Amino acid sequence: MNRRAPASGIRRYVNAVNLGGLAIVVLSALPLYWMIVSSFKGPGEISAAPPTLVPKAATLGNYAEAFVRNGIGRYLLNSVLVASVSTVAVLGLSFFAGYALARTPLRGRGAIMTALLMLSVFPPIALVVPLFLLERQLGLLNSYAGLIVPYVALNLPFAIWIMRNYLVGVPRELEEAATVDGAGPLRTVLTVIAPLARPGLFTAGIFTFTATWSEFLLALTFNSEDGHRTVPVGIALFTSQYTVPYGTLFAGAVAATVPIGVLVMIFRRSIVSGMTSGAVKG
Amino acid sequence: MTSSATPVSRRPAPEQAGPRTAPAPRGGGPARVSRRRRARTGWFFASPALLTITAVTVFPVLFSLLLSFADVRLEYGGFRILSLTGDHYAAVLSSPEWRQALFFTFGFTAVTVLLELVLGTAAALVLERLGAARGWVLAVLLLPWALINVVAAQLWGYLYNGTYGGLTWLFQQILGHQPDILGQPASAMGAMVVVDVWKTTPFVAIVVLAGLMLIPGDVYEAAEIDGAGTWTTFWKVTLPQLRPIMAIAVLFRILQAFGIFDLPFVLTQGGPGTATESLAILGYKTLFQNLAIGRGAAVATTTAVIVISCCLLFLRVFKTQADEGGRA
Repeated sequence: MNRRAPASGIRRYVNAVNLGGLAIVVLSALPLYWMIVSSFKGPGEISAAPPTLVPKAATLGNYAEAFVRNGIGRYLLNSVLVASVSTVAVLGLSFFAGYALARTPLRGRGAIMTALLMLSVFPPIALVVPLFLLERQLGLLNSYAGLIVPYVALNLPFAIWIMRNYLVGVPRELEEAATVDGAGPLRTVLTVIAPLARPGLFTAGIFTFTATWSEFLLALTFNSEDGHRTVPVGIALFTSQYTVPYGTLFAGAVAATVPIGVLVMIFRRSIVSGMTSGAVKG
Repeated sequence: MTSSATPVSRRPAPEQAGPRTAPAPRGGGPARVSRRRRARTGWFFASPALLTITAVTVFPVLFSLLLSFADVRLEYGGFRILSLTGDHYAAVLSSPEWRQALFFTFGFTAVTVLLELVLGTAAALVLERLGAARGWVLAVLLLPWALINVVAAQLWGYLYNGTYGGLTWLFQQILGHQPDILGQPASAMGAMVVVDVWKTTPFVAIVVLAGLMLIPGDVYEAAEIDGAGTWTTFWKVTLPQLRPIMAIAVLFRILQAFGIFDLPFVLTQGGPGTATESLAILGYKTLFQNLAIGRGAAVATTTAVIVISCCLLFLRVFKTQADEGGRA
């Protein structure tokens, strides 16, 4: 904001903002770098002191171990399935609910929004036992549906919240034009609003996907059987031996981080713009 | 809680849909659909989501409440409620474990949320001013946030490891002796705070960044004309404008931090001793390790009551309307 005389050479780049940016990158990335590097270290090197910044003898042995012996591939597939289905369901439901809360004269709208806000952070520990007993009655333990249904319900409030705040900022005129042309409410919403809501949908989708991809408590208690285990549970249970097999663990962790990392990289801009209701303007 | 349930089951009575809410009717002209029909469309669109939420959360909450007053006996393939009692709450509230967990959870929440708010705002201000590199810096910042909690816990567990952890080695170079970071109550708590701040500051940063982008430019122009410096502008212009969205970020963070489970579960298992045992960990141990269903439900219920109370208190203090900006 403060305009100063343009500095020359390297000094032009040394300022508080750029140093701050550098600090963000280093602090965020260094532990992740450590994880990636460690996943290529052999069994001796990973527990060597002092630690090495670059592996002396890089190996893919940990990855072979993680996929072949520890079956991380199966956990990844389970996680992809559970998180994707949950995200699609959340997006479908939250889009319509968000539209209703943003644009239609619902009574008790404020109360609904406040209740949603509280539900979205309701401590899962308070739900875990009744849901466990209920799922046992319904035979849903160790099944995909047994995780997807609660994941959808638990992620809906925040997604509705994002969708609604986003849709409030979408101009009404287009929608009214469609109504004048004789389109029914469902067609108007699907053909006019849905394309405009894309950044909001991306944001809600990323939040839901990361939350379901990461969820641990319900996955630990509901799907404990090996065939239905998700990645977080698989990774947490790596330690149930006397020594932690860090190499294998990090190979699995890297494999579990790649999909979500790619998503974040692709959608990095829409994550922020989807949260700002006036984003359609810019 | 239940307030989300009531409007769903009750169809809006036609005579109520009248003038009381009355937002200024938009100039739609002849094609304007009647208000009642639009409200019906609204309920039609909203009810699948609201019914899903109600079915999966409201029923279990009520069931959990019942269990917290019950003597439950586990039997093969099921359980039986023997009698109803209020003893669980008395036992929970007077137990040192519960007080310790409450103390840790409150302290952890206060420290992490405060740090995350300050650092997240700083990061957002940096990101807003960054030039071409902004997209990439943002992406790197978001990576820890997208990381699986359990993975983050394992990763930092490795860094804190007492014999070959990178951080332990670093501290040894500085202090001259090898610290047992996760082995001492105070440093274990500090270590946990560091991981949470590393992982969730990005969430605060993107929310605040979204808020920064909504501040109209002419506000800053006015401040510049008045000769306000960078600090004055920040305190008198930027911060007040950010207040509503910061309140939302803080609210979400308070409530998430209060329910913290994965991080202590994997990093320290609540130890050393019970130094890093959160209320959620205590609830889990009571429920699944001691199989004390009634008492565990009481722990869970007290946690939920505290969380909801904090939420309501916070909303009142900050006068943040949940549907801010929504009133056309």
